[in-house]
Amino acid sequence: MATPTDRQPPRLDRRQREALLGFLFITPLLLWLVATIVWPLIASIHLSLQDVRIIGTTSEFIGLDNYGRVLGDDRFWGAVGRSGIWIVGNAILQTLLAFSAALALKRRFPGVRVARTWIILSWIVPTVVAVVIWRFLLNASGGGLINPLLITLGLTESGVGFFGSGETAFATLVVINSWRWFPFITVILLAALLRVPSDLYEAASIDGASAAAQFRYITLPLLQPTLFVVGLIGTLLSFNVFDVIWLLTAGGPSSDTTTVPVMIYETAFKQFRLSQAAAMSVITAGLLVAFAAFFVKVAKPKEAF
Amino acid sequence: MRIRTPLILGAATAVAVSALSAGTVQAQTELLIWHMEQPPHRVDRIQELLDEFNAANPGIVVRQEPQNWGEIYAKAPAAVAAGNAPDLLFAIPDFAPLLQGIGALQPVDEIVAGLDNAHGFYDAAVEPYAYDGGIWAVPLYNMAISLWYHRPMLEAAGVTPPETWDDWVAAVETLSTDGVHGIGLPANRHLYTDQTTYALMVNAGASELYNDDGTVRFDNPETAAALDFYGRLFAFSPPDAANWTWGEAEACFASQTCAMILQFTVITTYDTQTDGDPADLGVVAIPHAASADGGTISYSNGVMLLTDDPEKRAATEAFLTFLMEPETYGRFLNMEPGLFLPVTETGAEADSFWSDPMAERYRPQIETMLENSQAGRLFGFTSGNIFPSIAAISAQNLIAQATQAVVLDDMAAVEAASEIQERMEDAIR
Repeated sequence: MATPTDRQPPRLDRRQREALLGFLFITPLLLWLVATIVWPLIASIHLSLQDVRIIGTTSEFIGLDNYGRVLGDDRFWGAVGRSGIWIVGNAILQTLLAFSAALALKRRFPGVRVARTWIILSWIVPTVVAVVIWRFLLNASGGGLINPLLITLGLTESGVGFFGSGETAFATLVVINSWRWFPFITVILLAALLRVPSDLYEAASIDGASAAAQFRYITLPLLQPTLFVVGLIGTLLSFNVFDVIWLLTAGGPSSDTTTVPVMIYETAFKQFRLSQAAAMSVITAGLLVAFAAFFVKVAKPKEAF
Repeated sequence: MRIRTPLILGAATAVAVSALSAGTVQAQTELLIWHMEQPPHRVDRIQELLDEFNAANPGIVVRQEPQNWGEIYAKAPAAVAAGNAPDLLFAIPDFAPLLQGIGALQPVDEIVAGLDNAHGFYDAAVEPYAYDGGIWAVPLYNMAISLWYHRPMLEAAGVTPPETWDDWVAAVETLSTDGVHGIGLPANRHLYTDQTTYALMVNAGASELYNDDGTVRFDNPETAAALDFYGRLFAFSPPDAANWTWGEAEACFASQTCAMILQFTVITTYDTQTDGDPADLGVVAIPHAASADGGTISYSNGVMLLTDDPEKRAATEAFLTFLMEPETYGRFLNMEPGLFLPVTETGAEADSFWSDPMAERYRPQIETMLENSQAGRLFGFTSGNIFPSIAAISAQNLIAQATQAVVLDDMAAVEAASEIQERMEDAIR
């Protein structure tokens, strides 16, 4: 026969209570991750094993056919290659712009507070607005700003068609995308730069270190954790850029600016091959995970981890 | 104070009855229209007509939600799948098969028959929507591309409006001087480039995109000739034309940077954004190759019915009856004067169409457009054949991609036609 004591729930010790509390705190986040990442990924994998053409229609299970088709498609690998060039181009340009801006804004000069605030402007402008602005700036048939400037400076005799060839279109997109994103990186770098203790620079100056040496031996090492995070997140964000490309070139001319996200969109909603697009998405997700793992292994700063 | 029970009951009954009556009065049939006529003045004109209809029909409320042609091919099927599709959706012939193929459309044969009896539809306007045992859209207006030019620029250069390709390229060459481009042609991966390219294909004798058995016949000498000629003309276009849609071409024409463009209309921009005299605005049929008859791209836009609710169907019929009445129809067409052409006999004669101030000023140009539209064709809908698979070709802008290959990537026209033929075959697989 059970006594009243037997019916009482077992008491948790402090460590167990803390573990339970921690679990309760992270449960909403876990549920959110399952709902927004795990479930869509499972749904994509499920979709990629069928032959659904138009959204909302049904299809039979076709196994790995879509994966075979995608992996054997030169156009897909062409898009992967362009995405690689896109990432590198954006990384170089954005890093240069962001570092220059952050180093400049770290200094104290009249108006620096205003500059630190307004630097973010091009990042907060909606993409569509940015595209309209750039379309106007690059206009070569009456109006525009850049072409008249180039002509006035004698750099060209007639207007330049920035989207007239694959190479120039791609380079122009990299510039526009970098213009949009570098302020975001600038703000992060600036925050990190301002955290570097000034006495380190003072001591280095007393020891006769040049500005370049200070940057090489003080600034860069102390920014490494920040650079690592910016490098990883920036690369993934850059890879996934779709709106600027789609609105300005729709992947053209020909397929010269068709990166992987553009190709996935085209395959799903222009070619009406939803399952094939899902297979591309799954493969792409795999490539990105592999890249992230490689990046963490190679680039993670030892002090920070 | 004592309150008697019968009084309370009476009051409660009165409140209940009045609530019920209010419910009856408020019961309305709501219709949501998606259309792709985004410019604000078009949206305003449509709203004006909706307000009139809603005021005259207290039991019906019609609302509009403007959409974008660039995204509607993706958005509409998604909306259908999600169960939040509009009741009515504007269409062009190569868009309708996409939704008809997934069973999202209701046939509108009876509505079309009723409007035909009252107003006399032009057969060419209805035909592209009639297949698979039904009519899948009610035609609303027609559009046709013409060659627009600045008359004073041609006269100053001693050039007459071209009729053949030889005339055309010579005229463009003559007109191309410092700061002026003889012609502005697009090369974007966009519907506009599909249309201008197909307009040249029609004039090269390559209007048929399909063989009678439904196989693609893009890879042929006439198509290659059209692509090659497009490349020759494009060389005189502004350098940023590779990224143009309709708006940039009109802007180039309005600024007199382009002496000629291929466009459905330029009347509104010419009239409102330049000081041009209507008499100086020239329009002719698109020049043709020596070996082919002239023609252009032309097609009717329609409205599709997506709801199977009988009340909404009845409301749709009432709304379209209102819209196609001659006193209303002209005002609807003149949401963009000179762009939208009537698809009914009564509409072509309607005072409401011709009495618009801008239509009055540009009547000769509009009459030329109407004349040009008589020789109109549309890819996938020629020679009495209808190939619904054109939706997949059109959605990918494959014709425009052939043009891009030639004019931007310097690919030989024959090679481009062959490559895009393969892409088209893959698209309809």
